[in-house]
Amino acid sequence: MSRSPKNRKNGERQIKYFDYTLLFIIIFLVGFGLVMLYSTSSYNSQLKFDDSAFYFKKQLSISLLGFFCMFVIARIDYHIWLKFSGLVFLGAAVLCTSVIFAGTNLNGSTRWLKIGPVTFQPSEAAKIAVILFLATVINRIPKKMGDFFTVVKVMVIVLPIVGIVAYSNLSTAIIILGIAICLIFVSSPKYLQFIIMAGVVVAVGAIFILLESYRAERLKIWLNPEAYEKGYQTLQGLYAIGSGGLFGKGLGESMQKLGFLPEAQNDMIFSIICEELGLFGAICVILLFLLLIWRFLVIANNAPDLFGALIAVGIMAHIAIQVILNIAVVTNSIPNTGVTLPFISYGGTSVVILLAEMGLALSVSRGIKLEKV
Amino acid sequence: MVRCKTFNRQKTMIFFIAVLFMMMFLVGRLVYLMVFCSEYYGKKAEDLHERERDIKAARGKIIDATGVVLAANKTVCTISVIHNQIEDPEAVIAALTKELEISEEKVRARVEKVSSIERIKSNVDKETGERIRAYGLSGVKVDEDYKRYYPYDALASKVLGFTGGDNQGIIGLEVKYDEYLQGTNGKILTLTDARGVEIENAGESRLDPVDGNNLHISLDYNIQMYAQQAAEKALEQKQADSVSIIVMNPSNGELLSMVNVPEFNLNEPFTLNYEPLGPVSDEEKQNLLNGMWRNGCINDTYEPGSTFKIITTTAALEEGVVSTSDQFFCPGYIMVEDRRIHCHKRTGHGAEDFVHGIMNSCNPVFIDVGLRVGPERFYDYFSSLGLLKKTGIDLPGEAATIMHSKEKIGLVELATMSFGQSFQITPIQLVTTVSSIINGGTRVTPHFGVSIQDAEGNVIKRFSYDQTENIVSGETSETVRSLLKQVVSEGGGKKAKIAGYSIGGKTATSQTLPRSANKYISSFLGFAPAEDPQALVLVIINNPQGIYYGGTIAAPVAREIFENILPYLNIPYDEQEAKEAETELAE
Repeated sequence: MSRSPKNRKNGERQIKYFDYTLLFIIIFLVGFGLVMLYSTSSYNSQLKFDDSAFYFKKQLSISLLGFFCMFVIARIDYHIWLKFSGLVFLGAAVLCTSVIFAGTNLNGSTRWLKIGPVTFQPSEAAKIAVILFLATVINRIPKKMGDFFTVVKVMVIVLPIVGIVAYSNLSTAIIILGIAICLIFVSSPKYLQFIIMAGVVVAVGAIFILLESYRAERLKIWLNPEAYEKGYQTLQGLYAIGSGGLFGKGLGESMQKLGFLPEAQNDMIFSIICEELGLFGAICVILLFLLLIWRFLVIANNAPDLFGALIAVGIMAHIAIQVILNIAVVTNSIPNTGVTLPFISYGGTSVVILLAEMGLALSVSRGIKLEKV
Repeated sequence: MVRCKTFNRQKTMIFFIAVLFMMMFLVGRLVYLMVFCSEYYGKKAEDLHERERDIKAARGKIIDATGVVLAANKTVCTISVIHNQIEDPEAVIAALTKELEISEEKVRARVEKVSSIERIKSNVDKETGERIRAYGLSGVKVDEDYKRYYPYDALASKVLGFTGGDNQGIIGLEVKYDEYLQGTNGKILTLTDARGVEIENAGESRLDPVDGNNLHISLDYNIQMYAQQAAEKALEQKQADSVSIIVMNPSNGELLSMVNVPEFNLNEPFTLNYEPLGPVSDEEKQNLLNGMWRNGCINDTYEPGSTFKIITTTAALEEGVVSTSDQFFCPGYIMVEDRRIHCHKRTGHGAEDFVHGIMNSCNPVFIDVGLRVGPERFYDYFSSLGLLKKTGIDLPGEAATIMHSKEKIGLVELATMSFGQSFQITPIQLVTTVSSIINGGTRVTPHFGVSIQDAEGNVIKRFSYDQTENIVSGETSETVRSLLKQVVSEGGGKKAKIAGYSIGGKTATSQTLPRSANKYISSFLGFAPAEDPQALVLVIINNPQGIYYGGTIAAPVAREIFENILPYLNIPYDEQEAKEAETELAE
């Protein structure tokens, strides 16, 4: 946290604030992510592209682009999004819809949109769009948020895009829904209705799982991955985690990344971190994310207005949900679902969007006014 | 612009705390996985990454009493393929099919199977292995290991036994002492990636094999050779089905030789030692092989016939119901209840004392003596002499005695038992029981195994065997020895006599079941020196053609063996007596 005194001469007791701690954590995470990505992907990369640094180079250039976006967005006053959030939301919805009809199939699922030489995942953009849009909506009617019907109405606004995303990518839809619920939760003064809502969600979820046999099968695989062929990835992840031990095998020494754990650089990258850096490294990574989330908390609680606070909360929810889901999947704490680990997993769109979000958060942090005592 | 409310902050805080708790749970989960399950998953992962190649341990040798190696090892090769490293599968299949002489189909199945390493064939000649290596095919591994090798081919084949493809014992001593001979295979462990490619610089961990220990046995190569030659000669001359010879040291049960001709070649145990009459199916062939591998001395029982009179004599002497001077009369038969049982000499031996009874092997005398002992006591002696139990020889598959139950022994059964019929024992049982009688009354356990030694000759284990003392009195033992000496010197066993040596023995001719087949087993049991037996020989000729009397055909075989082994064993030789015998003959 650093304070840059400004306008001192004018006698104003305000200090312009910029969250350097957050910036540092972001840079560190992205840097660490690149190192781990190189370590994890070099074997697959060598096999597939005859270049052990293929994934690394791609991720590095996209990260640089992401940083550029981040700094640009950080410079822009976030209030501008009050005007554009509706447009962003609409755009994201259109893109997500077009994926259904004109999507590109990669790795067996249609989640990508190809425009010219660029392929990207619109569902990632939907996350940031939902954050901005909900923040704008709630900002207009803060007093009505205590009303149950307003809550329902706000939810209804988000549901279409959740549905569209869910069509091709259920995990991202769950994350978007989670972000929305968090935003509404924070903006509403009530507790009880959320407790009831949570109860309903759990009940509906349970029925949903029991009705569909393939979900029930997933559940069985989760409980006993060794007994099912489809538990292969989970099991290989567990092998990687288990063989890490306290301090790991050392950077680059993972065995599981050598083709045993398929596509290790994607969702399962955390298990390779565990294998190479051990429990110690894994806990450090978790602490780093916790630190990041704590910075969002600080920004949210000190934001100059509700809009800024809601943006910070939305980003916080996004990162927190994704980190928790990813690590929970990797450690087989919940049934397998494809969630990437922010900043570390391979994925261009994800990194750019995340860094753009970080720009937003930094932009909000710039609005914090510290009063010198 | 709307300002933040307190409840907003509170709820953000609540959310943060919830996240904190979830992350703590995840950390807990990680601790569980990485500390408590680490060993389990780590081991599983290691198994997945490691490719194992066995290094065979050399099997221990089998060495005879004089230091001759009867079972050794020779270097052979194991050919395996590593699927992922094969570049030209067709060339590999062609080469292996040609060199290994196995069907292309089989080779193809193994070459095309996706596995980290697949064994094609083991126990391949070293030369073949080197030829395959010379092809320079990638993905084909030629590993050297050992194969059992028997320098004397058929010598003592049914005693030594042979080993299978994994160097495990299949029959004989190879099975019985497998645990000592086997050794522990070593391993070469290499790390591979998921495609099975070995990882460079990962290093190999190597677990050196521990060679098996050597088995030292009491069998004597020279005595075995003499006995085998004598047996083969008899087999050919008498056109017999088989000839078995056992040579044992009666004082301690050490077996010096065990021959069962026809023997088979231990280096090719799955080849029949005769031409089967017609084409045979695999199953039939297996049965024929099992028959070929049978060790008649221990796996089969027979009616011992007159050699069993030694035991009847012992029982009667112990019971005190007969003395050597007792007088008998043989009219050529004897009536037992309503049965007339004939003597082998239909005209009868007339008046004779017990000594001549045994010299003549006179059935009525022994029936009389047996009846004097009585069914119950006879059965008790049968039991106390150890005939009801197995001998405990250190070879697998010993057959049990086939005997009447005690209640069913009537006088007729007793009469037939007293000259060795109506029950069956194994040859080794007869040898062991007679040894126990003539050695002063100590029941011994017949055995081959003497000790286990490592390659440097350090004794790792010395085997000890059960002995039961005083199963007969020393006096009875002495009487039996002198009676049997007279059988050889002047009685039915005189064809086994060698001037200058003191030999005791008894002949037997038994008809096999069914009696109508008119098949006989001629046998002779002899020992020397008669006063202090050091070598006991049992010769059994199974189904000889022509003359089948044990005294006529089996005794000379024993004599031939004695002529060879008695000087070899340094048995006292009475030159005086030998000369006298010669002059007697000359006159």
